Amino acid sequence: MQDIPRKSFMIMMLCLAISAQSPWLLAEETRSQATAQVDTSVEPVDDGSASNSTPSGKTGNWMGHLDKLFGDYLVSPLASVLFFDFGTSKWLGASVPLVVMWLFGGAVFFTLRMRFINLRGFWHAVRLTRGDYDDPNEQGEVSHFQALASALSATVGLGNIAGVAIAVATGGPGAIFWLIVVGLLGMSSKFTECSLGQMYRKISSDGRVSGGPMRYLADGLGELGLRPLGVVLAVLFAVMCIGGSFGGGCAFQVGQSLGVIRGRIPVLDNHPYVYGIVMSVLVGIVIIGGIRRIAATAEKIVPLMCAVYVLASLYIIFANFQEIPHACLTILRGAFTPEAVYGGFWGVLVTGIRRAAFSNEAGIGSASIAHSAARTDEPISEGIVALLEPFIDTVIVCTMTGLVIVITGAYDRERFPQYAEMITGDRGAALTAGAFGQVVSWFPWVLAVAVVLFAYSTMISWSYYGERCWTFLFGPRWSLVYKALFLVFVFLGSIITATNVKDFSDLMILSMAFPNILGVVLLSGKVRRRLDDYWRRLSAGELEPRAGA
Amino acid sequence: MVWLPKKNVVVPIDFSDLSFAALDTALDLVDHAADVHVIHVLPLIEPAEPGVIWNTIDDKTRRHHAEGALRERLSEDKYADVSIEIAFGDPGHQIADFAQKRGAELIVIPSHGRSGLTRILIGSVAERVMRLAHCPLLILKP
Repeated sequence: MQDIPRKSFMIMMLCLAISAQSPWLLAEETRSQATAQVDTSVEPVDDGSASNSTPSGKTGNWMGHLDKLFGDYLVSPLASVLFFDFGTSKWLGASVPLVVMWLFGGAVFFTLRMRFINLRGFWHAVRLTRGDYDDPNEQGEVSHFQALASALSATVGLGNIAGVAIAVATGGPGAIFWLIVVGLLGMSSKFTECSLGQMYRKISSDGRVSGGPMRYLADGLGELGLRPLGVVLAVLFAVMCIGGSFGGGCAFQVGQSLGVIRGRIPVLDNHPYVYGIVMSVLVGIVIIGGIRRIAATAEKIVPLMCAVYVLASLYIIFANFQEIPHACLTILRGAFTPEAVYGGFWGVLVTGIRRAAFSNEAGIGSASIAHSAARTDEPISEGIVALLEPFIDTVIVCTMTGLVIVITGAYDRERFPQYAEMITGDRGAALTAGAFGQVVSWFPWVLAVAVVLFAYSTMISWSYYGERCWTFLFGPRWSLVYKALFLVFVFLGSIITATNVKDFSDLMILSMAFPNILGVVLLSGKVRRRLDDYWRRLSAGELEPRAGA
Repeated sequence: MVWLPKKNVVVPIDFSDLSFAALDTALDLVDHAADVHVIHVLPLIEPAEPGVIWNTIDDKTRRHHAEGALRERLSEDKYADVSIEIAFGDPGHQIADFAQKRGAELIVIPSHGRSGLTRILIGSVAERVMRLAHCPLLILKP
C-alpha cells in the first residue's frame, strides 16, 4: 500500500515544521533568564505598541527581529504597490487606495447591473438554502445549505470580531454605517462571482467539483476571445489568493485570537509562540494528517457559535437599550461629519469598505471556490444562495460587534484609556473582549471559545482555497509544500505584530479583487442574461420546488 | 525480443482522447480483451474540501462515480471484457504498483495526457511510470 511512504512523509514534514521552530525556542529559553527582569517591566515586543520604546538590549529578541524583517521586506514594498492611492492622502485628506475604490465601484456596478438582485433575490435565497429546491441527482458535492455553511466558515472569522473593532476605533462609529452599506452592496458582487464559479466549474471523473476564479477567469474570458488576459488574471488571482490564505486566512486569525486568549491564559503573554505551535499542530493534523473529524466538528459548530455571539451581542445592546438611539445617531453623524481624528469623510469611508471587504470577501472571489461545490444544475441558484453570505457576515455579525463597541464606548480613547494601547497596536479582538467584559464579566470567556473556533474553521477553509490555487499553478504533486508553508504562517501569526499581520492580510486579500473584479465585470453580461432567464422561469413557475416543500 | 501477443497489458486512462486511443492500441496487441487492464488514478482527497467536511464524498463514492464514468465511456462491445481498476494517490506510483501486482508484461501509455501544457512544471506521468515500472513500456506519441 502506498499509504506507508505517504504517512511517513507526513510525519517527517510535521517533525520538520516543529523542529524548524525549536532553535528559536532554545534561544528564547536561554535569553529569557537574562532578560526576565526587563520583560516584566516592559510590554512584550509583539504588541507593536512598544516597538519604539524597546531598549537596545531587546533588539536581540528573536520575535521582534523576525517581525521587523517581516514588516520591512514584505509588507512595506508590497503596500507601496498594491495600496497605491494616487497621493490622495495629500489632496483628499485621507489615503484612498485604488483597490478600495475598485471594490466599492465593483459592488455598485453589480448591484445596478443585476438590478438589485441583493434585494429581490433575498427571499428566494432563503428558500433555496432551506432545501426547497434540493435535488440529490444533480451534479455537485454538497447541498446549498452545506455550501453556504462552508463558505461562511471561511468568512466568519476574526475579521468580524477584531476587524470591526479596529474599524470603529480608527474610523470612528461612522465606519459601521459604511460597513453595512458595503455589506449590502457586496451581496451583488458575491452573487455574480459565485454564479460564474458554478457556470465554469469542472466535474471530474470521481464526481468532485473544481471551480472558482481560476476557472472562470481563464475559461470565461476565453469565451469572450480574451484567453491570454484570462490566463494572466487567473494566475494573478491564484498568487494573491495563496498570499491571502497565509495572511488573512491564517496569520491574522492566529494573531487576533491569541489577543483574546492571552488575557485568559497568562502564560501565553510571555510565550505567545506556544499558541502558534498548538494551532500549527491542530491545523496540521487535519490538512496533512487527513483527520477530517476535527475540522468537520469545528465547521459544524460555527453556525452555533455565530448564534451565541449574536445573542451575546444583543444582550449587551439591549442591556443598554437607552443608549441605542444615541448610538445610532453617533453612527450616522460619524458617517457624514466625522471628527478629523478619524481621517475625515474619506478616511471613515475607506475604513468601512476595507473592513467589510476583508470580512465578507465580496468581490474577492474566494467564496466561489466553495460555492461551486453545490449540487445544482442552475448556476444562478447558487449565486442567489451566496447573497446571504455578506448579509449574515457583515450586516448581522459585524454590525453586532460594531454596536457593542459603540454602545460600550470602548473605541473612545478618552473615556477608556486602557484600550488606547490595544487600538494603536491593532489588537481588535482584545478590544472587543474588553468591551464585552464591561457588561458581563464572564463574556470574555465565551468570546475566547468562540474566537478560537472561528479562527480554526476559517484557517481550515482558507487552507482549502489556497491549496486549490497552488494546485492550479503547480499541480497536485506539490500541495504538501503549500501545506507546510501554511503551517509556518500559522506559527508566524503568533509572533508577528498585529499591525504587520493586519497590513499583510489586507494587502493580499484586497488585491485578489484586482483580477477578480476586472474579470467578473467583463463577464457580467453573461451572468445578467442567465439571471434574467432564471428569474423569468422562476416567476412563471417552471422551476418546481421539491414536492412537499 | 520477439513480438508475441501479450497476455497482460495495463493501460492507464485519464479520460484524455490520447489515453483512449492507447487503449485501442493495446487491444490490438492482445488475443482477448480480458487481458487488458485499465487503471484510472484519482488524486488523494483534500481533507478541507466541502464534500469531505460534510461527509457527502468519500473514497467509496468517488470510486463508484469514476467506475461509472469509465464504463459509460467504454460502452462499446469491444471493451466489454476489459477490467477496470480505480486507484488513489500519485499516478506514477499507482500505475507502476498496479502493473507489478498484476504481473503485467507491458504498459501502454501516451506520452502526453491531459496536462500537456503544465507538463513542464509537473513532470509527465509517462516519465515517472517509465522510471518506476518493472515491465516494458510502450509510449505512444500523439
